[in-house]
Amino acid sequence: MSLRDITLVPGSVAEAATFREAATALRESGLPAIAVVDAGRRVVGLFTDVDLLRGLFPAYLGDLRHTAFLPDDPDTLTRRAHEAAAEPVMQHSRRPLELELETSATHAAERFLHCEEGAIPVVEDGRFVGMLPRAEFALAMLRRRTET
Amino acid sequence: MELVAVAVFVVALALIALEWVHRTKVALVGAALMVIVGVLDEDGAIAAVDWSTLGLLAGMMIIVGLTEPTGVFTYLALRVAQLSDGRPVRLVFLLAGMTGLLSAFLDNLTAILLIVPITLLLADLLRVSAIPLVLVEVLASNIGGTATLIGDPPNIMIGTAVEELSFLDFIVNLAPVSIVTLLTVTAGLAFVFRKQLRVPPDRAAEIARLDPASDMREARYVKRSVAVLLGTILAFFLHTLLHLEPAVVALTGATVMLLVAADDVERALERVEWSTLFFFIGLFVMVGGLEERGVIDRIAEALADLTGGSRTAEGLVILWGAAGGSALVDNIPFTAAMIPVVETLNAPGEEFHDGLWWALALGACFGGNATLIAAAANVAAAGVLERAHQPISFVRFLAVGFPVTLVSLLIATAYLLVFQL
Repeated sequence: MSLRDITLVPGSVAEAATFREAATALRESGLPAIAVVDAGRRVVGLFTDVDLLRGLFPAYLGDLRHTAFLPDDPDTLTRRAHEAAAEPVMQHSRRPLELELETSATHAAERFLHCEEGAIPVVEDGRFVGMLPRAEFALAMLRRRTET
Repeated sequence: MELVAVAVFVVALALIALEWVHRTKVALVGAALMVIVGVLDEDGAIAAVDWSTLGLLAGMMIIVGLTEPTGVFTYLALRVAQLSDGRPVRLVFLLAGMTGLLSAFLDNLTAILLIVPITLLLADLLRVSAIPLVLVEVLASNIGGTATLIGDPPNIMIGTAVEELSFLDFIVNLAPVSIVTLLTVTAGLAFVFRKQLRVPPDRAAEIARLDPASDMREARYVKRSVAVLLGTILAFFLHTLLHLEPAVVALTGATVMLLVAADDVERALERVEWSTLFFFIGLFVMVGGLEERGVIDRIAEALADLTGGSRTAEGLVILWGAAGGSALVDNIPFTAAMIPVVETLNAPGEEFHDGLWWALALGACFGGNATLIAAAANVAAAGVLERAHQPISFVRFLAVGFPVTLVSLLIATAYLLVFQL
């Protein structure tokens, strides 16, 4: 069984897109991560829900570990959201992990077990064909096992 | 072979200064080259590594790494900020004092990594620019770290290399001049930054309302880890009486910490910054190569000729030379190279003069303030600021760091001339 036998989900944004456009695309896809692709549909980045959070909140939150005493500061949050909106998505995306369409399900499972992303871009001949969400992949495996 | 040793070391220093390649890779490649081309043999390379320095660093990394998740440092930083009542001058003095103190007893890099994110948060809440506050903290951390044997990597290297110098010797000889320098520099910076740090009254009240105690996690570990940290610091003070090397004190503290405050040893040991330890290993081997080939002796002879054998002139040349070298390269490799030079100047059989060691410590530590690349704490602070979309340029740091270094060195010069040389 390869990824060709599993239904992939569309989910990508152009590398020239802004953070706001990427956030919209992420929300509309319903996925935890979408691919950032260039004009030739090659995957050049991955934009995840964690990257969205990082962009919306002050970056130092990632360095702090004790914030339970903090009330929301609407001015700071609004300012940061405004700043981030126009920034290029590439500034907020991470190095992509990708899988070939012919990849076996076992290899895909191993990849998911060793990465934190909830969805991985799948490519054929180097071009993006769709996202493989971790939850969908796991359920597809469960369905297949149940059927057999 | 002597030229090869010098070439390897100089190229490595240049690459470390330029930051084109990670400094640990540079140091390890340099060390490997020293052995492969035969500058020194394998036994010589292993013997060149100062394992006490590595033990001290690793021990403190574990102790601080296991104390940090309890939230005690966040609590401390926020309480100190609350004491300022939003007054800029008071805020600058309190943050500088706290950073200096943390740097003296943790190490300046750790202190900066703990304090800068909290400062960014405070600056947002107070509606002031974070950069002046972070600059004050970085400069204070390098000055505060000068005060003790464990405060700054150059001091750790000197303290473990020179068995005649105890933890208390460092405090007695370096803490007073560090405190005077810190107060002088902080007063100057508070004056310079006073207009950028005006806090709207409502924001000061906002800070006062925060309760940092509400996020002291892992409560059962707070008392234990703070007790071990304080106990280790006390043991440093008493290490001569206890007949224990500082590295043994730190590693014992780390072991106790692992026993009483770590559920998962694997995760606890992840707190050890292996890249830093391997950086030191590479440096020690490279400097061992220079020693093996007589380069260090030649430098020491040249220094003695230049100063006419005058202890005062030697001390001042070491102070200003170490500051200049640290500013241009990084104070860790510079100190690694200078330790054997000073050992040679303090020739065996002659009366031990600790003044030259204090000159080296003051020069290397204060020199760490001159440029953005001069000390690991500066680079780390710049990294946190960059991630927070508030980058600080090399020139902007230089504009503040260079005058601060000059003032610090003038104070150190006066101190050495009056009390040490």
